[in-house]
Amino acid sequence: MDRNQISKWLKNPGKMANKYSFHVVYFCTGCGIIEIPPSITTRWDAERFGIIPVATPRQANLFLITGYVSTKTLKPIIRTYEQMPDPKFTVAFGSCPINGGMYYDSYNTITSLDKYIPVDGYIAGCMPRPEAIFIGITHLWKLIDMDKADGYKRYREDYVHYRANQEQLFGELDWPPLFSEENIK
Amino acid sequence: MNELKKKLLSSFDNVEINIPEDNRMIVITKKESVLSILSYLKKMGYNHFALESCNDWIDDNEFELIYILSAYLEKDEQYQDKGKRNIILKTRISREKAKFITIIDIFENAEPYEREIHEMFGIYFEGHPRLTPLLLERDYDIPPFRKDFDTNKYVENTFGKIPSIKERKKEKNERT
Repeated sequence: MDRNQISKWLKNPGKMANKYSFHVVYFCTGCGIIEIPPSITTRWDAERFGIIPVATPRQANLFLITGYVSTKTLKPIIRTYEQMPDPKFTVAFGSCPINGGMYYDSYNTITSLDKYIPVDGYIAGCMPRPEAIFIGITHLWKLIDMDKADGYKRYREDYVHYRANQEQLFGELDWPPLFSEENIK
Repeated sequence: MNELKKKLLSSFDNVEINIPEDNRMIVITKKESVLSILSYLKKMGYNHFALESCNDWIDDNEFELIYILSAYLEKDEQYQDKGKRNIILKTRISREKAKFITIIDIFENAEPYEREIHEMFGIYFEGHPRLTPLLLERDYDIPPFRKDFDTNKYVENTFGKIPSIKERKKEKNERT
């Protein structure tokens, strides 16, 4: 253990444990999934940063959205995000989830992802290399230290607005609201 | 290829044939004789249906349907000398009455292609067992692959009109 961080561990052990054990669920949209196999295997070895891929969203706390999001894949993304246990963090890859990227005028690619689910960080690039993914993860550590990676809290607070946006895009949704009004309070 | 060209010309009217390369033949025909030409070619050994596609020629007010066939090399020894041979069959239908007959009776694997063309171009295939949505999630007024579908306008009207969470909050605060 790093001696400089002992005070941090004693202060807030839960947060530190979250920080160094990211269990990742990938959503394989678009081109970004090509970067994932080299970064989780021996060439770049994501496990030295405490990142490990898991099978299901119910075991995960980091959600990587790798590439553009079409309207059809947005539904499973929302469902996956809602299944993950708190605290959970979302990182979106590339320029497409930010503003549509090269698909800015596509008939079925949504232009900005953070209208539908909260996004804690974006990694710029088209596509970002595995080094950029790890830099993004270290930035996420800093954000967690400063309590700024609060996407899951925002999702709970503003769930009415997120749900309204999702319903404006899809019409009626197939699943009931995640939080009732009592839960939000 | 040249033998097949002669045979096709002798047995069908309304057929225009080009051979741009050694292994490729383009057959342009009227829509009435598509089914008979396809079944004829299938008998001749071109029994691999590779692709069905569609083009929107908005200036001519027509859709162009394209069928690509090729032969399995093992079956016919005469095709083995110069590699795989493709036949491209083209036909045109009018844009207003976008209707055509399905070719599932001849090539069964045309089903997903026809579903996709129905979804993207709005062409109705008579006799198709299920023309249900295949790829798209939303309903579109104009099918999205038609040339008169304005993507910029569509993006503005749907994705652009959805407010961000900050704007939603502001609205709510102003109301209360």
